[in-house]
Parts: sequence; C-alpha cells; structure tokens
Amino acid sequence: MVELTEQEFCEHVEHLPPAQLLPLLHESNPLYAQRGAATVVRMRGWVMLTLARTTLPDAALPFVLEDLDTGVDPYLVAAAARALRSYPTPNSAFAPFVVRAISNIRYRDERLSLETYGGFAIGTKGTTPVRELLATLTSLGSHARPIIPEVESLRTGPSALAKKYQPILEEVLKSIQTHSETNTDCCQLPDSVKDLFSWMRPARGSSSIDSTVLEDQNGNTLTFGEYFYGRPSIVAFFYTRCDNPLKCSLTITKLARIQKLLESEGLADQINTAAITYDPGFDLPERLLNYGHHRGIRFAPEHRLLRAPDGVDALRKHFQLGVNFIESLVNRHRIELYILDAKGQTAGYFGRIQWNEREVVDRVIEVLKKNRDRPKLRVASPVFGTAVALGLALFPKCPFCWAAYLSLFGIAGVETIPYSPWLQPVLAILLLSNLASIWFRARTTHRMLPFYLVTFGALTLIASKTLSAPSTVSLLGVLLTLVGSLLSTFKPNLDRVSTVRGSGWVNDQDSYPSATADGTDPVQAAIYSARSATIGSTRVARRAGRRHASNATTNSTIETPVKVRGSVGEMP
Amino acid sequence: MTTSKTKKRGTKKSKPAKKSSAKRSPGAAFAVATNEKKSTAERAKAFVEAPLATIASDDTLQASLDVLRDRQQPIKVRLAALQSLQAATFSVIEFEPHREDYFATLRELVDDPDEELRQRVLGILARENDGYVQKRLLEGLQDPSKALVPPEKALQLLSYDVHAEAYPVAREILNAPPNPEAKREALRLLSADAKSAPVFEKLLRDKDEDRDIRQISAAALQSVKPKRFQEQARELLLDDNEYDDIQATALTALEQFGDEKAVGKDQQLLNRVDELGSSKSAKIKKSAKRFMSRYGK
Amino acid sequence: MDVEIQINNSPNANARFLTWSPASCRIRITDPAGAQGQGQPPMRISAKTTASGGSVVFRKGTTGAFSASLQLGVPVNGNWVSFFAAGQFGRASVSLNDVTIEARHGNGNKVVGSTPCTVRIRKNANNLTPAERDRFIAAFAQLNNAGLGRFADFRDMHTNVSSPQAHGAPGFLPWHRAYLLDLERELQAIDPSVALHYWRFDQGSPNIFKRDFLGESDNIGTVFFSATNPLQFWKTDGVTGINRRPFFNSNNPTGVRTEAQTLALGTAYPAFRTMEGNPHGSAHTSFGGSISSIGTAARDPLFFLLHCNVDRLWAKWQRNNNRFNPAVAASFDSGAWPIGHNLADTMWPWNGITGPPRPPTAPGGTMAPSPVVTAPGLSPRVRDSLDFQGKVSAAACMGFDYDDVPFS
Repeated sequence: MVELTEQEFCEHVEHLPPAQLLPLLHESNPLYAQRGAATVVRMRGWVMLTLARTTLPDAALPFVLEDLDTGVDPYLVAAAARALRSYPTPNSAFAPFVVRAISNIRYRDERLSLETYGGFAIGTKGTTPVRELLATLTSLGSHARPIIPEVESLRTGPSALAKKYQPILEEVLKSIQTHSETNTDCCQLPDSVKDLFSWMRPARGSSSIDSTVLEDQNGNTLTFGEYFYGRPSIVAFFYTRCDNPLKCSLTITKLARIQKLLESEGLADQINTAAITYDPGFDLPERLLNYGHHRGIRFAPEHRLLRAPDGVDALRKHFQLGVNFIESLVNRHRIELYILDAKGQTAGYFGRIQWNEREVVDRVIEVLKKNRDRPKLRVASPVFGTAVALGLALFPKCPFCWAAYLSLFGIAGVETIPYSPWLQPVLAILLLSNLASIWFRARTTHRMLPFYLVTFGALTLIASKTLSAPSTVSLLGVLLTLVGSLLSTFKPNLDRVSTVRGSGWVNDQDSYPSATADGTDPVQAAIYSARSATIGSTRVARRAGRRHASNATTNSTIETPVKVRGSVGEMP
Repeated sequence: MTTSKTKKRGTKKSKPAKKSSAKRSPGAAFAVATNEKKSTAERAKAFVEAPLATIASDDTLQASLDVLRDRQQPIKVRLAALQSLQAATFSVIEFEPHREDYFATLRELVDDPDEELRQRVLGILARENDGYVQKRLLEGLQDPSKALVPPEKALQLLSYDVHAEAYPVAREILNAPPNPEAKREALRLLSADAKSAPVFEKLLRDKDEDRDIRQISAAALQSVKPKRFQEQARELLLDDNEYDDIQATALTALEQFGDEKAVGKDQQLLNRVDELGSSKSAKIKKSAKRFMSRYGK
Repeated sequence: MDVEIQINNSPNANARFLTWSPASCRIRITDPAGAQGQGQPPMRISAKTTASGGSVVFRKGTTGAFSASLQLGVPVNGNWVSFFAAGQFGRASVSLNDVTIEARHGNGNKVVGSTPCTVRIRKNANNLTPAERDRFIAAFAQLNNAGLGRFADFRDMHTNVSSPQAHGAPGFLPWHRAYLLDLERELQAIDPSVALHYWRFDQGSPNIFKRDFLGESDNIGTVFFSATNPLQFWKTDGVTGINRRPFFNSNNPTGVRTEAQTLALGTAYPAFRTMEGNPHGSAHTSFGGSISSIGTAARDPLFFLLHCNVDRLWAKWQRNNNRFNPAVAASFDSGAWPIGHNLADTMWPWNGITGPPRPPTAPGGTMAPSPVVTAPGLSPRVRDSLDFQGKVSAAACMGFDYDDVPFS
C-alpha cells in the first residue's frame, strides 16, 4: 500500500466527490492503517469537513452522530457539528445528540480552526467545539424544541456555560421559538439512517471462524465454534487501552448491566455474553479478568472476556470490524456489538451510537425464541447405530447360516423365514444413514471425533463383509461405531469459572451498585428512543462480508468496507 | 532511608519553611505580579501565590496570558505565570471559561526560544494527548534540526499517550541511541509493546547493560510476558555471577507479583533465596527476607 | 479469673484499631474464678506500651477527660460493661499491635485479660520509620499490582472527564477526603498496619524523594527507585514508571502557602476553600510531570500524599474553627452548585450513577467498608465527609486521624 503523507491526503480528499468521501469515514479504510490515533483524528475530521462543504449525504449521518454521541476529540466533535449543519433536512432527533456532545466536550473546549487541515489554531482566530455545537443548535431552529430545558440549564444555573456563550444561547432559544408550527416529533431519525442497528442473515458456507482459538480471562482456551455454538450470544468488542471512556470502558460496564438483566429474567444460562479484545497481545488473561471485574462483569462459563491470540485478522474479516491499527494497537474503532444465533452466526448488529441494554436484551430474546421454534435436527441414538452395525457384522453369508441363526432364537416358526439377502444392503444403508446423522451432529457441535470414529467403524464393517475378513475385524467395526455414537451424544465440555487469583479480591457483585444511568437523563432517553424508532423500520439485510458498490444515495443498511475507486489499497 | 539515624516517633520538626511576606489579598498579589516596576523575584512570587487570581476575570486572565506570551518579560516571571495558570486549571469548573484562551496561548509557546518554558509547555500539552505537540515531537525525533527538546525528553513526553505513533522511532533510537538517556526513555516508551518482549528479555539478561536499562527491561517484560519474566527472574537468581541490584529487582518482582503456586513449589529457588538471605549485600538480604516471609519460611 | 476485652465492640482482630477519637469498647468476665461473692469485682484497665509504640487512654462515658487507666466494676454474670478508648495524642503506633490493653483485678498485678491493638494514624511521611515506610510502599505497590490491581480504579476516578465532580467548587475537599479514605481502606485490606501518610509540602521533606521511598528524579523528570523498592514496577495507563520533575532545588516547593497562611485564609468555608488554588494547585504545579496536570495527576503515588496534606489542613482548620457540623452555615458553601458539590448530593463514583451530568462510568464501585467504623457508608453524601472525628455524632467517625490534629 502506498503511504500518503498527511499533506497528500489533505489535497487528495479536497478533490473527491461525496460518493468517494464516504468510504473514508470507515475506520477500517486502509488509509488509516499504521497511523497514530491523533493522525486519524485529523484525517477523519478533514473528510467530514470536506463533506460539510456541500450537502451531507444520509450515509454520512451515522458517523456524524457517532462523533457527537461519544466523541472526545475537540476537532472531530467540532467537525461533526459543522457537518450536521449541512444536512439538508433538520431533524428534531439530532438535538439530543448535539446536547450530549456539549456535555462531553465542554471541559475540553479549545480553540481550533476548521479551515485548515488538523485544526490547530495558533493565536486568536478560530472556533471551538462548543461554539460549533451551539451554532448547530441554532440551525436546528424549532427542531431543537424538545431540548429547551437543557438549553436553559446551559444558559443559567449551576451548570451554565461560560458567559461568552450566553449570547449564542440566547440566539438558540430565539431560533427555537420561531417557526413554532414545525413538526416537533422528537426521536425519529431520518428513515435513511439504518446503520445503527441491523438484523443480519448469515452467508452460507462460511465457517472458517469456527476454528479460531480464543482464550478467556482465566486462561482457558476454546474455539470460536465451541463457545458460540449452542446458545445465542451477545458479543461486544473492546480493548483495555482504549482512551475514550465513552467507548470501551462504558461498553464493558453496560455489558455487565446486560448480564444483570439476563439474570433477572432467568436467561443467564441460555444466552452467552462475551467481549473480545482487539488487542490480544497486550490484553492477556489477567488483564481481561481485572478489567472486567473492575466494571462489574460476572464471569461464568457462558460469560467471558476473550482474546484471540492469533485470530484478530480472522475476526476482523468475519465481523467486518470497524477498527484499524498502528502495529497491534488500535488507532480508532467504532462501538460495535453483535448478536449471534445459536449456530454462532451473526444475526444482529448495534453500531456507532450507544446502545440501550434493554433493547439489546429484547433483540437477543427474539433470536432465542426463533431458535427454539426451529425444528430440531433428529439425531439417531447410539443404540440404533450400534444395533445396525452389529446386525451388519453378524449377517450370515449363506442360507444355512441364516437358518442356524434363526434356530438359535428358538422362536417357533422363525426358522421358516427364508434367507433374506436384501437385508444386508438395507443394514448397510441404515448404517450410512446413522453415519449421516452423526455427521450433522458433529457439524453442529463442532466436534468431529465421533464422526471419524463412526466412519472408520462403518468402513471397517463394509470392508470386512466385502473382503470376507475375520470376524474380529467386524467386531472392531462395531466397537468403533459404538464408541463414536456414544461420544456424539455428549455435550461440549464447558470448564468451570474460577475465582479471582492473587489479590483475593472477591467478586462481591451483590454489593456492587446497579450502575444504571440516572433515570432522569432525558437526553440519553431521547437518543435511545431515536435509535429504537429507527430499528422499527429496519429490514433484514445481507451479512456484512459482501461488498457493495459505494453509492451516496443508496439506502444501504449495513456498513461495509468499500473499495474506493482510485484508492490506493484493498480493503481488509 | 539514606540516613543512619532512626527516625523517632511523633512529629519531628523539619526544616522550617521560609517566612512569607505579610498577608495580602489575591488581588493585591496579582497586582504585584503584573507590575513591571516590581522586581523579578517579587513578581514571580506574587504570581505563584495567587493562582485563582489569574482567572478571577477575563481581564486578569488576559493580563496573565500577555505576560506569559511576552518574550520581553523576565523568564522567571513568565514561568511563574505559567505555573500559576496551570495551578488554576485544577479548579476545573472555575477554569472552564478560560481554557480556550489558555491552551491557544500554550500552542503559541511551543516554539518559544526559552528551552525551559518550551519544555514545560510541551509537557502540559503532551499530557492532554495534544495531536499538534505529538506531531512536532515526532518530527523532531526524525529530523534533529526540527527538535524542540532533546530526544530523551521528546520520548518521555510521547510516552504519555500509547496511541502516539512513537513505537517505530523508539525502536530505531533503542537500536542506535544518541545518548544513554534517550535509550532509556525509548525503552520505557516501548514497555507496553508486546512485540518488543524479545528485546526486553535480551537486555535484561545482558550483564554488560546499564543497571537502569536492565531494571526497566525487567518491569517491561513483567508487564507484557509475566510468565516469561518469572522464568528469567528465576534464572537471574540462580546465577552466582549476577549483580546484586538485578537479583534484588528479581526478588522484589517475584515477591510482589510471582505466581504463588509455582514459586512456592520451586524448592531449588527457595533454597537459593534462603542462601541469599545471608548475603553481604544489604539489598539482597532485605529482598530475600521479604521473599521468604511470603513463601513460608 | 479471665476477662474479655473488645475494641470497637468487636471480637475481630481486624477491628482493633484506634485513632484519637474515642472508640466504643467493652469488657466482661468470662471466668469469675477468684471473684466469688463479689457482685461486680473492680477491674483496672490500662495500656501496656513500648518506648516507641502507641499508647491508649480511657474514659468511662462519652464525655469527660481521658486518663491512663480506668477503674470499672464488671459483673460476674458475664454481662458486658462499656467504656471508651482512644489513642493518646502524640503516641501513634509504629507497628501492628504494639500496644496492649490490659485488665487487672482490683489492685493486683496479674493481668486477667488483654487485647492487642494499634493506634493507626496518618503521619508526616518524611518522619516514618524505615519499617513504616517499607510497609506503606509495599501496600501501594500491591494495590497497583504492576498495573493490574485495584489502583486502576483510583486512577480512573481522577481524569479529565470526571474532574468536574470534584474540582472548582465546594465539593473539592469532601470528595477528596472520601477518595483518600477509599484508597486507604484498600491499602489496609492489604496490610492493616498501614495508614495513608501525608507530604508536608510547605516543609523540607528530603526523605520522601529518595529511591527507597517515592523515588528520585533525574533532570528530565524520570523517577528512579532502588532495586528493593517495589514501586519500580509501578504501572499506570499501560506504561511503566513515573514522570516527576521538581521545579525546586531546596527540599520544599517555593511559593506554596504555609500551613499558617492556609489556616488564616478565613474562618468560613467559602474563604478557606480557595486553598484549592494555593497551596493545593501550587503544590501540584511545583513539578513538571504527571502530577502537574489534572488528568494525569493520579498516575503518581505522590498525588495521594499531597492530597492527604490538603485534607490534613482542612481537618486542622475544622478543629480550629469548630466546623464539623454541616448544619452550621460556615462549615460549607451554600448555594446552588453543580451536582456533586452540594451538601445533600451523593458523590460519584460511589453512588454508582453514570451518564450526564455524571461521568459515563463509575469505576471502583461503592466506598470500601471498614471493619472498624460504619461511616461514611457505601454511598456517601458530601455532608458525610465533614464530621470525620465523630464530634457531632459518634457514628460519623470515619476511622482516621492526623498525627498533629487532636480530637479534643
């Protein structure tokens, strides 16, 4: 990949049309690879500002809202605020995001320039993120009506903004109060914004992730398939060195709340929760254990923090993760949480904006119900398989042997049944049917050893019949069939959780407060509500992993990394 | 403790503090601080005396920033103004309205001709993970003609943010250090880099390496590969020819962070440490004693 | 005859800690042999001390003077009799259980019952014995556990994002008092003999800035430790080591208000709390390095000793002006302040509340409980930080004291 300098990037971006700028908002774009976090901030901010010079396309909205919801970089927050002003249709659902951004950034307010790349403001000229956010509120006009109380509290009272912002706040209130006929239906994001949550249908035939080895917080290893098959799962991504407390630290804290919700509904042993680190080289098991503990995570066989020592690339590809790296360290990532079905296939995705714990639990329960309603795959019992194998092994070679067998039973009249040579191939077919059912079972449990044993047993039996081998060979075939059939009935072995080592600090979860958001936060409620309203109209979409052509006007439902025409590298 | 005298209980009287000037209000102190007719010493003292006076109003803030920016002002007064303003930043809620102007001024001072002022300003901004400063520091490491501070200081400042893209240049400096301090700071910066574990191991075991380098390597290896560090620490302790300092570091690490089960069963190690308890070296003796008090004997 | 003595009315060894504040104690006869016929044989309670160890004084009720010994009639039926014990001011312990409370029957010399205890007091860190110092830093290092320990929560409680909860408004002092107490209790869970000591920043403290204690800085501010100092493994934010560059050549920072000047700021809280600027802010910025910026200050263990001194100054000011009662206006700053800075507000993170106007997460959970006292509770309010010695209400005693701030 040819590496662009920042100067070259800046010039390159300025000449791109919006359709080609959109892919540059994806964290996973190769142009961001091997760059420091601050560099990525500058680059992304510049892309956003370039988009803001024309009309902001729908597809860019999730990125803009994301930076308002959880951004802590003054430049990016200011750029997002400005970009939102260029969206053609103001919407009342934007207002809570803007207020949230003011709350996030006000104590990191600093002077910057949105006219120059990087935003470094030297001297007195420039703007600030708070100023930009207030300007955005002004531009929303009466669409900001739902957040009048928040604006008032920024204007006066103990949490008021600095006096220098008072005139702008007056302007905001004035603009809200004009055009009072405008629709003030809060919390309905534009229909086109669907990338915050999606149902996903898994692609066929993709199981390469199943064998990816994971290690949990206690050092136990297991494959992706072993952990995620059998129950629906909630999977988040994070890393312990994340420096944005609104992302990873909060994600894990909220995952702990999801665990509490599941427990309160009696579903903790029916739904897995997991968080996988982007940074397995640094996030060793003890680090995962402590990180989770410090955020209220309850550990159990169904609830783990995981690392993939050699599997980051596989995970990245499978989930199409919104992340990029400088060497092994994350330089930028989105908030992303996935719902997997009982086969470990991706069924749903929450991205970018803070997700609501209740909503996530409701979605995974839907998946759980779907799994329950699905007809169960019938698996032949080991008794049947072994009986068939035994029958085949002992089937007589000739009519005289047949009579001898029947007379052994001593049942009156049985000896009159003529020699039935057709029984042997029937038994063989039944044996192969048993083999097929064992194969399905092995596929679903991801344990192939039973299948291999039964296969070898069946081949041994068939060979012994066709090659007239000694009876011990047949009996070996029966034995292998028996052992394989029995093994296939056992569930995967899930190791027990162990207690915290070392410090002796006990998992005193009972005394941990239920760290839910203060129920009086209307802004958060509004943001969640906006997402929920969007989810109601979301349709099923193809699983991420298929590439689409980038199209600024397409109502694409899944964020997919897209090859940029004229870009200098392939997408991961 | 370096003194041989045992400290007595109770409140021992320490060296008395210097007598202050007569009590004056923060406003009065600020007036002195910004009064160019007063002596440098008086002005500097006055600035440091009343940090909150610098943000009492927009006017006092601007006056403070004017002094800070003005290269014609005595450097001691400018440094005092900086110290006072930075002290005021701790009063976060009160400082909020002034942050914009303060940090904009700091950026201007990144190129100030006074090295001490420059260093302090860079430190403040680096601790805010400021992208501008990171970029300038990296440029200075790659091209010494653009360096704002010596390489060891630049590396130290970059180490505040693991996300600064400093690992590649730190590795280069580690391989070809311009001076021992730069090597040491490069190693410290890399201490969270799992990829550098082989380097930590090599430096830790190299008896020709500087003691500080080996000590930092020990801490770094312990962080990224704790099991491997434990094995190395064990070998260091079993080595009769190893330096006392390094053995003391290894003992301290095992005593504090060792895998209790593994160490407790390692009879060879326990016997060795027991022997070390009779060492002539006070450091070894002390660490060995602590170690053995944890592991049973 | 045998008697049982309980300190803090608890049979547990982890409750045998005293400060200068009176602690509820009790005594009963467990074997009345030799006291037949006596309804309430007299017991003489006193403290056995070493030359350098702690010492304890006693009184019968909730008021009155303390004395070196106490006479009590204790019934043979085994009923408890209450009394109060406190550390003798100026005689703090130097090691665990270096003072023993003893009971003798009447005027006899034979000890019929005893209980060891510790007068555990926050001291000037510059004056610690080597053993005290080593235990203190060992506990600190274990709390950090090379970046994996509970210290990470304390670091995460004091960041740029959370700083408005505790700075620039009246809640500054109460919040930091609770913060220090939480940390101290975690240290005591590791080593109960330890207290959180203070750095007297207006005096020379050469012993603190040595390689065997909080480290020695080179000219660029890298801090060095001796090979036996466990702080050499100190890690925060994934990075090893501490950056701290003193701007002073002598042993104490210049320009920082002295104790006398600080205590003279005013007799009402609004005036006193300006000490947040100087000496507090000035002490922070007497260095370059982590401690001089609010978002990184808690990465340096010196931060906690600095704030312990800030808290000591507040404690002394409270004593000088009788400002323990939140109901007294001059004890605090009334008015409508941002959340977390009003008397009735709960304090983040111990309240577990997240989301604006609070920070997004609440690291560390509830306040660490104590086996010795119940205050300030798992989720303290701002007002719960004021009566730390239990002067207004004995139940409010928080279980710590300073070596130079008496109770009476």
